[in-house]
Amino acid sequence: MILTIRVDELLQLTLSRPSRDLVTRPTGAAIRGSIERAIAATTCPTTLLDFEWVGLIDFSCADEVVAKLLRVVDAGVYIVLRGVDETQAEAIDDVLARQGLAVTALPRAGGLQMLGYTTPDLSLAFQMVHAAGSGDATRLAGRLGWSLERAADALQTLAMRRLILAAGGTFAPLPLQ
Amino acid sequence: MRVVTIPHYLDDRTFESVIEALQPWPPEGRVLFDARATKWASPYGFAALLTAAEALRAGGAEIPRLAVPESDDVRSYWAKAGFFVHAAEQFELHGKVPRRPPDTASDILLPITAVRGSEDVHDVVGRIQEQAARILTGELHLEARATLRFSMTLSEACQNVVEHAGSGGWVAVHAFTWRRRLGRRVAVIAVCDGGIGFRASLEPSEGRKFGDRWSDGTALEAALIHAVSRFRDPGRGQGLAAIRKYLTTWNGKISIRSGTARLSVVPAWDDDEPLETGQPFFPGAQVQIVIPAQEPLKE
Repeated sequence: MILTIRVDELLQLTLSRPSRDLVTRPTGAAIRGSIERAIAATTCPTTLLDFEWVGLIDFSCADEVVAKLLRVVDAGVYIVLRGVDETQAEAIDDVLARQGLAVTALPRAGGLQMLGYTTPDLSLAFQMVHAAGSGDATRLAGRLGWSLERAADALQTLAMRRLILAAGGTFAPLPLQ
Repeated sequence: MRVVTIPHYLDDRTFESVIEALQPWPPEGRVLFDARATKWASPYGFAALLTAAEALRAGGAEIPRLAVPESDDVRSYWAKAGFFVHAAEQFELHGKVPRRPPDTASDILLPITAVRGSEDVHDVVGRIQEQAARILTGELHLEARATLRFSMTLSEACQNVVEHAGSGGWVAVHAFTWRRRLGRRVAVIAVCDGGIGFRASLEPSEGRKFGDRWSDGTALEAALIHAVSRFRDPGRGQGLAAIRKYLTTWNGKISIRSGTARLSVVPAWDDDEPLETGQPFFPGAQVQIVIPAQEPLKE
């Protein structure tokens, strides 16, 4: 089950004048507050924040909406950004990376992306889990020619950052449909 | 009455003579800004002049006078730049002021606009994008996504006023050919306020760390170079860092004057001093961002 929130609709509710642009901290904080309330009211573990109809997002707003949300949501809540364009992704990536945070994104252009803090191992493991589906560290180690310890470390880090699901030694992609 | 002569060409450098003429700050007695012989003003010149008037009044001084330019062409341009709309509130104007409302001349991306709150930042960002796309990609030959990056730069610069100045400010964006200093087209963003300035804004969180070295200059370095913010929040301080990153990509320049110091991130095409200290005092913070056309430098 997935909760989908159109960020542009929250923007319209927040501002007194119509705008597609996600700028300024007060605006970002108000939108984050709405998102937090929606998440608190749902039993869906995954929340898709839909940026498809949003114009630009500046760094302050990226920090308020995405970075702070990742910091405050409960451990069992998974956040995914959908419909982000290249410039939005760049701002969000920069803001998250500076704070050691990361989030799963479905870019407007298609595909799947991890935005924010990463390492070559984390990026590779993330792509592999999403391409190959559920599996354990042994499977990942075998596919990538890594040691078991290296694969387990990457998978646990991704799970800890809520970029993949973890249950009983098995790691799975986040449900995105 | 103290008479302050506005230079023929009013920009970030020549405005220093205006500041000098206002020393010691705040000046005693009423001030007359004499712009009768002024021929041109950059967005920084417009924004800084309004800031000076607002800061004088905020300090309890009598409303300053402004003798407007004598040239019809200059007055017309100042009107198009939106200057007189705001100047009428900040100065007692002397001379013929064009009655026409400001319209957008082709090189004025954003007329002088007051920034008082976050709604104003939304307004500025919304208004700039169409014009910015035309100028940045069409005239400055920047990549298509530069328009959004430019708008983000503008947004962050304006938010600096809202969040840190403790007062309102002014923003303007023009494109023009910078013959004397670069010899090519540039887009210039100016954001000026007469508020508390970087030193006072950062002092509660940073002052003690610097001890005797704490000054307007070190405060500017902390904010612009080290992305330090007065907030403990780890997400703060990224706005100026992002602006610097984009300007590096575009070979652009940022200068910030605050209090008695001026700090610049100087690109190869410019020979400005990176840090100037011991300057005459001027309240608040005055930011100028220059983005040049992406073409080889003239030999």
